[in-house]
Amino acid sequence: MIIPTIFVVLAFLGLLLILYIAKGHHSTAGNLDQLASQLRSVDVDAFRNLIDHREQDYLRERLPANEFRGIQRERMLAAVEYVRAAASNAAILIRLAEAARQNSDPAVAQAADKLAIRLRLYAFRVVPRLYFGMLMPGVSLAPIDLADAYDTITRQVVMLGCLQYPTRGMSSAL
Amino acid sequence: MRPLCSRCPFTRRRSRLEEIRIARPTMFATRKREIDCGLLAKSLIFQWPMLFLQYYLWIAPHLLLGWTLVASFRRGMHRRLPIFFAYAAFETFQFLTLLALSLLSPFPRDIYNWTLVLETGISSCLMLAVIYELANTLLLTQSSRAELLRPLLRWTLVVLMFVAAVSSAALSGATVRRVTNIFQVLDFSSSLVEVGMLVTLFLFSRTLHISWRNRATGVALGFGISACINLATTALRSGLGKSAFIAVDITQMAAFHVCVLVWLVYLYLPNRAPAFAGSGLGKSDIQFWDQELQRITGR
Repeated sequence: MIIPTIFVVLAFLGLLLILYIAKGHHSTAGNLDQLASQLRSVDVDAFRNLIDHREQDYLRERLPANEFRGIQRERMLAAVEYVRAAASNAAILIRLAEAARQNSDPAVAQAADKLAIRLRLYAFRVVPRLYFGMLMPGVSLAPIDLADAYDTITRQVVMLGCLQYPTRGMSSAL
Repeated sequence: MRPLCSRCPFTRRRSRLEEIRIARPTMFATRKREIDCGLLAKSLIFQWPMLFLQYYLWIAPHLLLGWTLVASFRRGMHRRLPIFFAYAAFETFQFLTLLALSLLSPFPRDIYNWTLVLETGISSCLMLAVIYELANTLLLTQSSRAELLRPLLRWTLVVLMFVAAVSSAALSGATVRRVTNIFQVLDFSSSLVEVGMLVTLFLFSRTLHISWRNRATGVALGFGISACINLATTALRSGLGKSAFIAVDITQMAAFHVCVLVWLVYLYLPNRAPAFAGSGLGKSDIQFWDQELQRITGR
């Protein structure tokens, strides 16, 4: 009776998950303004600094082991926050790109969508690595690609904006 | 959704009418047999509501499914989700076949059972195809999403098939009848694969914040509810054996009823595309990203 019980529990968990996601899906549809207000600022320089090997080596050499572990834990926690913010912005970009596909250049929107999806998936892979880095301060798992990916999607969004509002002259920033 | 031969309400009613005509000692024996079979009601009078419930849960969802078919055809859903349309048509055909068989006298038990098994197999394959069709509506022909979702679905299917094979072996052997065992294995395995695939699809859309159109959500939600209840009940049927057959049957038919109702409700909801308030990319959004870019380029 153990195996049937396991499947009964799994089935009910699956049902709850499906109902929860379907409900969330229904309520978020059409709330793009609300989504946009959830954009979070990501300081890419600060993030790069947090995951920099040299910075980590410098701190390890200068600080006592206990203190270094504590500081490294805090640095990784801060990095996780940045990654989460980048992932959240990428999710918003996916929706923005869907909207942009309807009324601006679909090719640019698709490129932005592609990058945003990659960034979001990448962020999901990076977070466990950062937590692992917190537990094992000596091990280097620096996700430097994430900062580069975030740079690129930001450029893509600005390009989308230029297509939508050509008079704003944002291309000068590129 | 359909009852097993041994639990076909029409067959049960006919045998019950014959039982009423027979003398009291025989009736006692019949009642004892029914209790042994795990019937919930204690007397023939109290079994009529249960019979009505069985009739209702067998016929009503399929009438609603017929309504869904007609309504979805009128709304052009057979062009957008053709495999789902074919699945619904096949379910209706399956119901009509089994209903016709159950009305035959004498009742062709073996033919009914093997028809049920064969049609369950076809229905499971069609349901899997519908899940892939729903996945395609998520991809929206975008290569970036396809690159991610297709391997994910492929590997999920492989893992689920393996788990279904192993667990079916662990759960099988509830009855001595070969056809019932085949049916149980098929029912359990297809439910497990469907639940796994649907949960993967829902998680994928949730993780990447990708929107489905309303009707696709409705189809996926209906299948999700039905498949989850089926998985739980088929596992219970294997665990509890014959005593749980009727309860499992009724629960599965009720789940299918809910599933069809969900499809109908979503069919009549406006089929909005992933809707965007405002004019797509807002100026404030662009300003935010512009500031981000200035900060990046200015470092």
